[in-house]
Formats: sequence, C-alpha cells, structure tokens
Amino acid sequence: MPSAGIMTETFVSAAELMARVLGAEDYPFAVIEHPISSANRAMLAARAERAAADCARLLLGADG
Amino acid sequence: MQLASTRHDVADMMAAQEFYHSRGWTDGLPVVPPTEDAVEACLEWAGLVPDHLVGVEPVRARAVTAEKLAINAVMAGCLPMHFPVVVTAFTAMLQEPFLLHGATASTGGCAVLVVVNGPITQDIGMDATFNALASSDRASTAIGRSLRLSLINIMDVRPGAIDRSVLGHPGKISYCLAEDEAGSEWLPLAEERGMPVGASCVTVMAAGAPRQLMNEWTTVPEEILDTFASEIRANMRHYSIWPGNYAIIVPPQLRAHFHAAGWSKADVRAYVFEKARILRSEWADCGKGAVVRDRGGSEYAALSAPEDLLVIAAGGPAGGFGAVIPPWLGPKSRAVTVAIGACVDCEIS
Repeated sequence: MPSAGIMTETFVSAAELMARVLGAEDYPFAVIEHPISSANRAMLAARAERAAADCARLLLGADG
Repeated sequence: MQLASTRHDVADMMAAQEFYHSRGWTDGLPVVPPTEDAVEACLEWAGLVPDHLVGVEPVRARAVTAEKLAINAVMAGCLPMHFPVVVTAFTAMLQEPFLLHGATASTGGCAVLVVVNGPITQDIGMDATFNALASSDRASTAIGRSLRLSLINIMDVRPGAIDRSVLGHPGKISYCLAEDEAGSEWLPLAEERGMPVGASCVTVMAAGAPRQLMNEWTTVPEEILDTFASEIRANMRHYSIWPGNYAIIVPPQLRAHFHAAGWSKADVRAYVFEKARILRSEWADCGKGAVVRDRGGSEYAALSAPEDLLVIAAGGPAGGFGAVIPPWLGPKSRAVTVAIGACVDCEIS
C-alpha cells in the first residue's frame, strides 16, 4: 500500500536509525519543521503545504 | 558452556574501562569486565543456556538472549545470585503491554521502575528500608543498572540514538527496590497483582521520577492520602492528564497509621481512585489554557481503576514522607508482574 511518512526535523536522525535497524536504510519520508504541538493552525497549514509535494512524490512514486 | 559473543583482549582493568567507554557501551560509570567465567556463573546460577531466548522486542524484532543479559548484568556489578531478577525483569519488560520500545524511545524520559517481592529479596540482600529509592544496597543498585546497560547495549537505547529523552531522570541509572514485606502488615504488591503467595516476583513500570511528599501532622488515613492524591493531581496538572499506573511509596511512619486504622492496600487504592481527579479547566491555571478549549468541565481521573495504583511499602523508619511515582505516558505502557522462574507463557498481570 502506498504510504508517506512525515517526520519533524528534530526526529530525522531517529527515523533514519529506525529505518536502518528495521532493514530499510533508505526508506524515504517527508520532513517538516519542529515542533507540531505548539503550532497554530496557520503554522500547521504552512507545514502541510510545504510537505504536500514530497508526500505526493512518496505516494505516487518518482514518476508521479 | 559455549558463549557466542565476541571476545576482546585488553591490557588491564583501566584499559577495559577506556575500551568500553570509547565504544559507548556504558552509562558513563565504570563497568566490571564481563569475563567468560563471570558471565557463565550468572547463567549457571539461573539455570539458563546462553542462547535461551528471554524474549523479542516486537517493534524492532530484536531478540534478547540470556547471554547478552548476563554480560550486561556482570558489567553493572551483579553477582550471579542477582541474575534471576535481571532475567525476570527483562522478561516482564518484553511483554506487549509494557511497550518497551515506546517507553525507552520517548522524549518523555521515563525509566524502568523495578519492584521485587518475595523471599529472594532477603536471599540477595535487598534493603527496602533506608534510602529505598536510590543506592539502598548492592543488589538493588546493580540489578537496576543492569537493565539500563542492557537497553543501551542490546537495544541501542543510547541518548540521542533510540533514547530521545529530553531530560530523563536519575532513575535511569538504576531504579530498583524491594518491598518491605517484613515490616508491613499489607499484602505484597505481587500477591495483590495475582501472583502466588510466597513467590518471588518482579514488577516493572515505565515510570517518571519520584515526587516526594511529607505529612507528619495527622494520623488520619484520609488526610494522609489527600497529600498523596494532591501530588498525583499536581502531576496531572503539570505533566500529563491521562490515566495510567501510578505507584505510591509508603514508608513505615505513615504505614503505622494505616495499620492502626485497619486500612488495607485495597482501601488505600479505593480512596485515591476517588480523590485523584482534576477538571480539564485546571490546565488553564498552569499555562495550558490553549488545550482546555470548550472541555473545561470534563473530569479526568488519574486511575482508570483502583487496581492501577501500585501501593508499595518501603522506606526508612522515621519521617512522615512518601512518594508518588507517575507513569511515563498515561495508559500507553502497563505495569507488568512476572514470577521469578516462571516460563514466558505463564500468566502475567
């Protein structure tokens, strides 16, 4: 099933480590600004907008 | 006995320390070099072969063998007679309800609280009285430390690697105690949690730092427990509103008042269950108004059921102190109790 993982910048190294220990070293994911919990709606919308293209690529594959 | 782990040769004790530190194999303190003899002695004492599968961490499919635990137990300073407790604690940590990966990777920074019950506490010299929560005795300190070293070296739970704790707390070095069964009229924790009478057992809980309290100015059980419940409510206000396993440590001076009044642990749990509640609106009093929204009137209980409170008799003889130990993150991780010597298929609670 196509999927798109999204990590905040602060958790990139953790995501890469988990991907490595689970045997999927180059598992791709989108990256957004940290943190999420204190972001207001406008800030979240901005993050989502910036991540949308990456998520589309992850879901549809490199050729779209 | 055939050990599978790689051997490393070093010149002397100091070289061994630098060797281990340079590879990130310690918690920052010196370690006891895990020689073959020492590791085998632990395994022999517990009656385990080196490749005995203690369990598998499900998120990362990481197998944990008795040999690897024994190596880390020796490093932590454990004697062979401590090793059955180490194996049982890790067996409990690997049970699904404990959620080991989440508890050890979380930014929340909890530690594994270990409570030991039964005759083994006397056999191995655990002291449930003075300084019960830190460095009370050799066995408690070494057993607790062995779990942390095992997490570091078997599960990669190093700060900044799998361990993403923002702060952590001192219990991450070692967080292990025995219950003072000899000094208490209460049922032991493990027995209350369904373990056989007289069995030696280990309970593990993903736990925050202890929050110490004091109330020396009453003998009334309800008033004493109001102080405990108030501390739990403070944790709900300042940290997390979600219900989970809370532990309370009740030393002798306060226990005497409960015993005199005929209060059992079940009575204590029932009272705290009713009292440890806050309204969501209280979050607005401590800077968290943004998440109150239109749900200010909603009531939140610290405990989903009275049984979620672990009541532990421990501590030195003088002083009306006590402690509340909060859960890592609400109900995400559940306390698990396992009997020492029980197979992994045995019933747990």
